[in-house]
Amino acid sequence: MAVWDLSVTVEDLGSDAPPVTISVTSDLHVGGVIVKLVEKTQIKRDWSDHALWWDQKQRWLLRTAWTLEKYGIHADARLVFIPQHKPLKLGLPNGITVRLRACFSNPVFQTVMGICRMLNIRHPEELSLLRPVEEKKKKKDKDLTKEIYDLTEVPLSSVSRPCLYNGMPAHFADSEKMEVIYKMLSVTQPPPAPEVITKQYRPASVVDKAHINGRWLDSSRSLMQQGIQENDRLWLRFKYYSFYDLDPKYDMVRLTQIYEQARWAILLEDIDCTEEEMMLFGALQYHISKVSQSEPQNLSSNAAMDDLDSALQCLEVKMEGESSSATDLLENMTAPELNDYLKIFRPKRLTLKGYKQYWFKFQDTSISYFKSKEESIGEPIQQINLKGCEVAPDVNMAAQKFLIRLLIPAPEGMNEVYLRCENEQQYAQWMAGCRLASKGKSLADSSFQSEIQSIRSFLAMQKTNSGSSAAASDESINTHSLVSPRYHKKYKPKQLTPRILDAYQNVAQLSLTDALMRFLQIWQALPDFGLSYVVVRFKGSRKDEVLGIAPNRLIRIDLGVGDVVKTWRYNNMKQWNVNWDIRQVAIEFEGNVNIAFSCVTADCKIVHEFIGGYIFMSTRSREKSDTLNEELFHKLTGGHEAL
Amino acid sequence: MEDIDAMFSDLLGEMDLLTQSLEQGTVPSEPLPTIKKELNFSIGFTDLNESLHELEDNDLDALMADLVADLNATEEKLAAEIQGLDKPSLPPPDLPAKGPGALPAPSGSSPSPRNSTGSSTVTPPPASATSPLPPPPPQTTKPTKEEMEAQAKADKIKLALEKLKEAKVKKLVVKVLMNDGSSKTLMVDERQTVREVLDNLFEKTHCDCNVDWSLCETNHELQLERTFEDHENLVEPLLAWTRDSENKVLFQERKAKFEVFKNPQNFYLWKKDKKTLKDMKDKDKEILIKENFSGTSIIVPDLEGVLYLKEDSKKSWKQRLFQLRASGIYYVPKGKTKSSRDLVCFVQFDNVNVYFGKDVRNRYKAPTDFCFVLKHPQIQKESQYIKYLCCDDAWTLNLWMTGIRIAKYGALLYENFKTAEKKAASSSSWTNRSTPSSSSSSTPSPTIKAKAPSQANGHAPKLQPGPVPQDFGDLPPPPLDDFLPPPPPDPALPPQPPSLLSKPAAPQRHPPDSFPLPPLGLDSLPPPPPPPPLSDSESPPDFLPPPPPNAGFGSLPPPPAPVDSLPPPPPPAAFKGVSQSLPPPPPDPHFLPPPPPDPVFTGAGAPPPPPPPPPPAPAAATPRAAGRPAGSVKKMPPAPPKRTTPTLQGGGGGGGGDFMSELMLAMRKRTDQ
Repeated sequence: MAVWDLSVTVEDLGSDAPPVTISVTSDLHVGGVIVKLVEKTQIKRDWSDHALWWDQKQRWLLRTAWTLEKYGIHADARLVFIPQHKPLKLGLPNGITVRLRACFSNPVFQTVMGICRMLNIRHPEELSLLRPVEEKKKKKDKDLTKEIYDLTEVPLSSVSRPCLYNGMPAHFADSEKMEVIYKMLSVTQPPPAPEVITKQYRPASVVDKAHINGRWLDSSRSLMQQGIQENDRLWLRFKYYSFYDLDPKYDMVRLTQIYEQARWAILLEDIDCTEEEMMLFGALQYHISKVSQSEPQNLSSNAAMDDLDSALQCLEVKMEGESSSATDLLENMTAPELNDYLKIFRPKRLTLKGYKQYWFKFQDTSISYFKSKEESIGEPIQQINLKGCEVAPDVNMAAQKFLIRLLIPAPEGMNEVYLRCENEQQYAQWMAGCRLASKGKSLADSSFQSEIQSIRSFLAMQKTNSGSSAAASDESINTHSLVSPRYHKKYKPKQLTPRILDAYQNVAQLSLTDALMRFLQIWQALPDFGLSYVVVRFKGSRKDEVLGIAPNRLIRIDLGVGDVVKTWRYNNMKQWNVNWDIRQVAIEFEGNVNIAFSCVTADCKIVHEFIGGYIFMSTRSREKSDTLNEELFHKLTGGHEAL
Repeated sequence: MEDIDAMFSDLLGEMDLLTQSLEQGTVPSEPLPTIKKELNFSIGFTDLNESLHELEDNDLDALMADLVADLNATEEKLAAEIQGLDKPSLPPPDLPAKGPGALPAPSGSSPSPRNSTGSSTVTPPPASATSPLPPPPPQTTKPTKEEMEAQAKADKIKLALEKLKEAKVKKLVVKVLMNDGSSKTLMVDERQTVREVLDNLFEKTHCDCNVDWSLCETNHELQLERTFEDHENLVEPLLAWTRDSENKVLFQERKAKFEVFKNPQNFYLWKKDKKTLKDMKDKDKEILIKENFSGTSIIVPDLEGVLYLKEDSKKSWKQRLFQLRASGIYYVPKGKTKSSRDLVCFVQFDNVNVYFGKDVRNRYKAPTDFCFVLKHPQIQKESQYIKYLCCDDAWTLNLWMTGIRIAKYGALLYENFKTAEKKAASSSSWTNRSTPSSSSSSTPSPTIKAKAPSQANGHAPKLQPGPVPQDFGDLPPPPLDDFLPPPPPDPALPPQPPSLLSKPAAPQRHPPDSFPLPPLGLDSLPPPPPPPPLSDSESPPDFLPPPPPNAGFGSLPPPPAPVDSLPPPPPPAAFKGVSQSLPPPPPDPHFLPPPPPDPVFTGAGAPPPPPPPPPPAPAAATPRAAGRPAGSVKKMPPAPPKRTTPTLQGGGGGGGGDFMSELMLAMRKRTDQ
């Protein structure tokens, strides 16, 4: 067989180095080519990660047993000998960039699996990579200051089978530097400065939102094939809003990153919510950031440790129950009280009477008041049970106004009562008492002290905010950091504070994980949750419309009306096809419903992948949860590549 | 420490008294008069006597059956406790004098008399009623006296504390109106959920137990109606009623209660055409339920539409475009878009319940009859804080009311449904097995009695083993011989009850525990209904969000309802379960006395939780308004004179005795007739 020359560029020789030429025959297999090449370069190193890339055809020659003939390679082929894993700058959902070595040769689906394994994120099928939105480079220095966490040193072999160490995958336990990275991944970021939120791109319409979905990489092709170069920037995001088996025990990184993605979606109004919902999201963010700062990282995903912990806790409870003397128990049973002079006002009465001072006693869930302290042994003037009442703060630190507004249910309706406190201290205590009582808890409840604390920290927040809004110390957070820019315009921070505080009282007692889960629950309960938009043109229609792709359905949105005009559910879907030539997606539903559309803002492969991906997500079940059925995913999303 | 001693001596005194009344009660031949004399009850609720005035005789029968069952169970528990307590010495069989003066010495000395209580009640043959308990096996190692005393004291204190807790439990006597116009009277304790009360009613009514059976409250003054959710505690909403209210509790089938789980498409795909909805496949329904109720988050039906809103304190109604979201009901202000950010919050659900408004056209000139009402549960009268909304048709009304319930209760609703389904399945399989002829009447009354204590009873009192009042007059008295195997010497007292006293014991969570084992020789009778598959231990994982990582994060957002209702202190059921699992099954005390030939009340109960040291103001004897309409549901508001808020004080030692004597009086009146 004829011998001919094949020239191969070896990247490791330097970019200026001329291609290495080797003599080959057409029946030489790729493995043989590589052996010859390595011999020729005379460099001793580990070449195992290297492979041949065929530049003109944009394809990898990964099957080492295939001959050159089988690949169709002739003397004019420009081959490059490069490593399959290369560094990539990856923007995480929390806004932080990590640099890590990702696979450039396998389909993106597998690349993402590798990345997730390294970052310790379960269920990589829910994530994918997308090309970032170009940032306006106004300040070039900004980019330099941005810290990049480097994970490129992690040996790829150690990642393949992660074993846990100190609750972290072993490769994070190696050094302090790595532990810092793990902390970054698994702990929520502090609320961003309001300016950061304002500066970021915010979609203004459904069409804007649709554009982002044109940026998803094709999961059936490799990074290299999609023109991604070494050290390029990509975003890692949750693409399918169907979070399977979310278990805080194993999913601290995943949970944190989902939360971050959700938080930014809300801050940037990627998903719409009402003002009340925004305040609750704000309150949860505040709570989460507070708790994650104070709570030591005991969130180890080490199951054994958890068991031990809970066992210890049980033991503790037991000991408490058994050993504590009866006197202690009795003392606990006599509930604590609050006693003080406060001023009361009933706005409902039409009298012009102002606030009147009485001696108040807070016991169990009721407030009683007396003419004076001396008379407090007798019958109170009135006793008010606060169970089920509404409590609202009315505080102005500058004016030293500390008002508790109570709306107390009675058979005849709701009675409005204002209690006026003298100072911060008094207010925090009584307010905390009222809050607990409204939920039917007495002052003896264990949360009383922490409730006082949280009220005080909110007061502190108002204090600093009323000075200058920019002066946000570590102690307090500018409430503008917790809501979308729309509310920056609508409310001053100090107006926002009481509203968020209001919502905060319902979540203040949550643990970190519970708060994260609550945030996600409320997010998932939003009507628009899980919708990915694509602008499409339906067959026979002359105008652009928007297709919303959700975990369980497709919706059609009329851009003129801005309303959902049609919903199709996947479980009624019989089949879907893509005509790759005319780039049209055709779907058939039960009952002879057929739709077809071409895609405007995204490639039809992306739409195809979304639909197939969601169908794949719905096939996941507990029995086979451990192994990811890659083949099925590829079948459902691959399109013509899969054939 | 002296306080404790004093308190404890109070308790002991109380127990002694009870013991005595019990002793008397055990003598079957001379039922009523004796017992009456010895009465000394105290029950942890107030105003019962008041409500009793209004009970009709048959109600009293039923109620009494419950009470007796209560007492039996608590009696056993008490016996067990005492057994555990009185290690050192066996008390003399004779009893100290009655009356508050005759308290045993507070500390150190062991509280003697109560042992005989145990023996007398559980030992089957009446003849042995007065005989003392066989002495417990002599202790092998004799602890020093100090140790013993210290131990005894500690135990007593523990016991006392528990009694205190239990005494605080509020109870109400509730009259439930049946579909056929009759009524049943039940004692409901504040820890009981509506589900438990329903189960109770199932046993009493022989209905088909399908999932639609519900308890509803009606508000007469406001003409409102609401179906209680199964996870709710029944007592709490009833406490909100005003004392003169004509509100009622109804036991009815309500299709709407769980319709969303039977036909989820009607709620979640309501926009689709009727035919598609009707032809929905079961598989697709399942998917819908899974999507909306089994995920991390509960999805509220996507509801939006024009409703009529009654303007504040006016009789005019204006139309608004409303939208239901998980966080509340919103409306679109005039001239704004429907986008989320423009929505104005109309109401959030934390503090309101949704009611069906009746007769709104007449009362408020409403545009339609399909009105739902949102109000704070405590509001009982006309008020500007009540919100009225009218829909165009009945179906829209159903959509909104169900949607609001989903938003408010979330996963709890689905749990309720699953529990109800299991209950329905288990009872239907049971009825299938039993012969149709006898099935209805033969629901063995012991079942009820045995079950009731586990739920309703927090007291540790005494029982009266007098003739068991029979709720089911037509049921032939079970042949006594069959039930009574030779009495084991001490069947009801397991060797080591002290462990049962310790707090963390798994208490009341398994109602099945309280089902008596089918008595021997009862083959001809259908067995008692199989215990409903208990849901609280198994189902939550299915629809709760994944549990938090470790025990440190305790507070899962929506705790499954049944767990909520578990009272902290270990209740009698725990003990009962143990005793019943002992081979040979000890004859259940309920069976002991030969039932009287006719269903006439002869027995009397003596439940006595010791009064907590500072007894709340005696709530008894508030004279009732004379000409009060005979409301069907007895509302027992607290009697305190200064009553800003309807708090029910727990632990009303004072009022209890009155209640019981009232009860006795009423019953005697009846027997006299």
